[in-house]
Amino acid sequence: MGFSLTVNGDRLSCAADPATPLVDILREEMHLTGAKPVCREGFCGACMVLIDGEPTPSCLLPAALADGREIRTVEGLAPLGMLNRIQAALEASDAVQCGMCFPGMVVSLTHFLTTRPDATRDDILMALTGNICRCTGYERIVEATLLALASA
Amino acid sequence: MIGGARMSDVSATMDLRRRDAADKLRGRTRYTIDRYLPGMLHAAVLRAGVPAGRIIRLDTSRAARMPGVRAIVTAADAPGMIGIGIADHPLFARDVIRYDGEPLAAVAAATLAQAQAALAAIDVEIEPFPAVLTMADALASGAPLVHPDWRSYEVLLEGSARGGNVAWEATVVRGNVDAAFARPDVEIVESCFRVGRQNHVAFEPRAVVASYEDGRFHIETSTQVPWSVRNATARLLGVPASQVRVTVPPVGGGFGLKFDLAVEPFAALLARASGRPVRLVNSREEEMLTCLFRENADIRIRSAVTRAGDIVGREAVVLMDCGAYGGEQIFLTTMTAHTLGGNYRLGSVRMVSRAVYTNTAPNGAFRCCNGVYNTFALERHTDEIAARIGMDTLAFRRRNVLGDKDLGATGQVFEGDVLGPMLERMDTLRDAAAPPPARTDGRLHGRATTVGTWFVFVGPSAATVNMNADGTATLVTSGVEIGSGSMMQSLPQIVASTLGIAPEHVIVRAADTDAAGYDVGVGGGRTTVSLGAASLSAAQEVRTKLLKVASEMIEAAPDDLVMRDGRIEIAGAPGSGRTVAEVATRAQALAGPVSGTGAFTGAGVPAMPGCVAGHFIDAIDIPVFAVHDCEVAVDPETGHVEVLSYRVVQDVGRALNPRAIHGQIQGGVVQGLGYTLHEEVTIGSNGRVCQSGFETYRVPLALDVVPVEISLYEGAPSIGPLGTKGAGEVPILNVGAAVACAVANATGKRVQALPLTPPRVLELLLDRKQDLTLPHIADAWADNLTRSHQTSPKT
Repeated sequence: MGFSLTVNGDRLSCAADPATPLVDILREEMHLTGAKPVCREGFCGACMVLIDGEPTPSCLLPAALADGREIRTVEGLAPLGMLNRIQAALEASDAVQCGMCFPGMVVSLTHFLTTRPDATRDDILMALTGNICRCTGYERIVEATLLALASA
Repeated sequence: MIGGARMSDVSATMDLRRRDAADKLRGRTRYTIDRYLPGMLHAAVLRAGVPAGRIIRLDTSRAARMPGVRAIVTAADAPGMIGIGIADHPLFARDVIRYDGEPLAAVAAATLAQAQAALAAIDVEIEPFPAVLTMADALASGAPLVHPDWRSYEVLLEGSARGGNVAWEATVVRGNVDAAFARPDVEIVESCFRVGRQNHVAFEPRAVVASYEDGRFHIETSTQVPWSVRNATARLLGVPASQVRVTVPPVGGGFGLKFDLAVEPFAALLARASGRPVRLVNSREEEMLTCLFRENADIRIRSAVTRAGDIVGREAVVLMDCGAYGGEQIFLTTMTAHTLGGNYRLGSVRMVSRAVYTNTAPNGAFRCCNGVYNTFALERHTDEIAARIGMDTLAFRRRNVLGDKDLGATGQVFEGDVLGPMLERMDTLRDAAAPPPARTDGRLHGRATTVGTWFVFVGPSAATVNMNADGTATLVTSGVEIGSGSMMQSLPQIVASTLGIAPEHVIVRAADTDAAGYDVGVGGGRTTVSLGAASLSAAQEVRTKLLKVASEMIEAAPDDLVMRDGRIEIAGAPGSGRTVAEVATRAQALAGPVSGTGAFTGAGVPAMPGCVAGHFIDAIDIPVFAVHDCEVAVDPETGHVEVLSYRVVQDVGRALNPRAIHGQIQGGVVQGLGYTLHEEVTIGSNGRVCQSGFETYRVPLALDVVPVEISLYEGAPSIGPLGTKGAGEVPILNVGAAVACAVANATGKRVQALPLTPPRVLELLLDRKQDLTLPHIADAWADNLTRSHQTSPKT
C-alpha cells in the first residue's frame, strides 16, 4: 500500500499504517521531533503543523490524509540556523521556559502573523486559544507577537 | 576563600537571555520523549483497575509469548521499598492493591502496540476490598487500613507519631494556648477550609530511556531529582546505588511533578531483562490519573484575638491526603508550622499536621507545596478575624506581620522588617494604578491584599568549575534545566561575574550523576541558592588560582588585579595584564589544568527546644515573603470570576536576572489562577480520578489571564549566594488566598473552598451551600493527635 508525504519540501514514502496519527510518523519515521504529542486530543496545540498553509493538530490527522498536501513542521519554518519573525521576537522577549508548547505556538503564530497583520492584543489572545502553555502565563508570548507585528 | 579578598569585579546582575531558547523555538531540543535509540524497545505498565484489593493471580506466561515481547517484570523483580520518613512504597503492588492505577507488571516489546497487546494478555485476578476514598473515611473508627502492616515498615526518620491510616503526624507547640483561649479579653474565631487536588500538567510527561551497560544501569530521564532517582531506583531494585547512572536531558516542565521517582525503575528492570534500551513514556491519561498531585486538604484554624488586634493564641489541625503512599506529604507535614503558622506574630501556637492514607493515587510535590492552601486558609481566616473585631484587613496585617526579631511558630527568630515594607510597596503600586473602570455591568467587584511566607529548600549541592585554556569555563553540577532558566541564566551569570568572563563562555554541563556530586534536586527555589552557592564557591577557587598565576605573569600583587571583560589586569588600568585564556594556558602548563570545587548546604536554623515533633526541619533557613493584591469581578448570573488586575511584591533577596524573575512571576501567578478558579480534580466512587485529559481538566488559557504588575523587593537578609533567594517557586504562593479573599469581599459570602469554579461560586451566591464542617476533625485540638506532643531528645 504505502503513501507519501511532502514534509518541509522533501517527498518521503511511508509504509506505516495509513491511520497512524501524522505526529507519530513525523516524529518516529522522519525524526522530526519538534511537534510534541502532549494531549493527543487536539486541545493543547503542541503538535501543530501547517498543512497546505493551515495550522492543523497533527495528533488528530491520519497520516495518509496528508498525502499530496504540503506539510511544514516547526523545523521547516526558517532556513537552517535562522529564526523567523515570531521565533526571533519570542527569543528577544525571553518568552521561552520549558519550551514544550513553543513548536506548536510558533507554527500557529507564524500563520497568524501572515494572515492578521493588523491584529490587536485581543485578537492575539483569541488566536492563542488553541495553544496552551503551562509555564509562562502567556504574557511574554503576547508581547512577542505584538513586537513581531510591529517589526513587519 | 581568602579572607578579605574581593571575589568579583563585575556585577552578576543582568538580563541575560536564555541560551536554550533558539533551539526550543525551532523544535530542535531533544527532551527525554524525543530520544529514540537504535534497537530500543517500548514499554507499557499494567495498572490495577480497582482502588483496593488483593491479587489472587498474576500470570504473565501467555503475555510473554505474544509477538515482539522481549521482557516482562513484576513485583518479584523489585524487592525494595522506598519512601520519605517511612519506607512504605513498593514499585509494584505485591499482594495488596492500594489505588486505582497501581502498577502490577511492566512489559517491553518491539513496538508500543505490541507492549500494550501483551498487557491485555496478562491474566490477573483481583479480589476487591472495601476502599477508603476520603480522609473522613480513613479516619472513621473501624476504617479499613490502607497499610495493615504499617508497623513493620522501616522508619527512615524517627520522632513522628503514626498509626492506623495516619501515615505521619507533625506537631508544633509553643506557649500556653489553653491560657490564651481562656483569656476574658479575646474573641475566638474559627474557620474551616477544604481544597482539592491540582495536577501539574507538565507538558512533557514522565518519560525515561534506560539501558544496561557494563553491569550498570544508565537512566536518561525527565526528572528534577537525578540523585533521588539514582538512590531510590537502586533501593527498589536491591542493587548498589553506584550501579545506577542518571543523566537528564532538557526537562519539559516539572512544577514538582518530577521531584520524585516515577517510571524509571520499570525501564531499568526491563533494560536489564531484555539487554536492550527501553523507552517508557506515560500516556497523558496515565499522567492525569496518577500524577503526584498537589494534595487535597482539610483545615481547621482557631485564633484567640484581642479587640486591639493581637493574636494571642492560635491552634490548627491540617489533614493532608497522601493517597495510597506517604511520599512527599510526610515531609510536608513539617511545612504547616511555617505556612499556616507563618505571616503573623503569635503569642502562642499549637498545630498538628497529619498525612492521611487513602485508597487513591499518591499525591506529591507541587510548587509551594502545602503553602498554597495553607496561605489561602490563613489569609481567609485573617479576614474573618479582622471582620470579627471590626478592624480593617490591611491595618490588621500591618499590625501583625512578622518583623525583625519576631518569633516564628517554631520559635525561630526572624531577621529584618520585610513584610511591613513590602505591604507599603504594595500600597504605592495600588495607589499609582489607574482607577478601575466604571462598574456598570452588574457584576460584583472586590479586591484583596494578602501576605504569604515560604522558604528556600536548601540542602546539599556540589559544583565543579573546570577552567579551560581557551578562556572558557565548564560548570559541572547535577542541576537540571526544567524550564525556569536558572541553569541557563543565574548559574552562568554567577560563574561569569566571578571570573570576569562573558556568561556565554560558561559551559553548563547537563546533569549526570557520574560527573557531578550529590544534589537534592531542582525544586523548592533552591537552584540559584544551593547550586548557585556551590558554583560560586567553585568559581572563587578558580579565581584565586588564576590570580596567583597572573600575579607572577604581570608582576603585580593579586589584590591589585581585577578580572573583567575576559582579562586579568591591574585595577584602574584597562588593557593592562593578560587575557584569562593566556593566564589559564600558563597555569595549565605550570601545574596542570585549573579547576575548583564548591559545596553548600543549609546551616539549619534551630527551633525553640521542645517546640516541634515529627518535623524534618526545625526552622527555615531562608524565609521568602510575598504580597499579592487582586481585583475581581463576579458575575451573579453565572458565578464566573474574572480577575481584573493582579499585583505582586516579591521578596527576592537580590535579583540576578530581573527579567527572568518577572517571567517566573507571571507564569506562577497564572498557574495559581488555574488552581483557584479552573482546575478541579474529583475522585469517583470507583476510586478513579475523573479528569483524564485536557477536555475535563481546565488549565488557564490566554484569554483567562491578566498581565501581572510586578515589583521585586530586594535587600532582605539571605544566606544565599550574593544575597539571592529562590524566585521561581514562590509566585504561586498566595494566589488562592488573594483571589478567594477578593471573591469573599465582592460577594459578602464566606469562601471556604477552592477551586472557585462557576458552579461553586453560584452555590455561594444563592446560599445553597451550608457552612463547611469537618466532623472528622475532633473539637478538642489534642483529640486529633495520635499521641500527645512530645519531642525526642536531640543527640
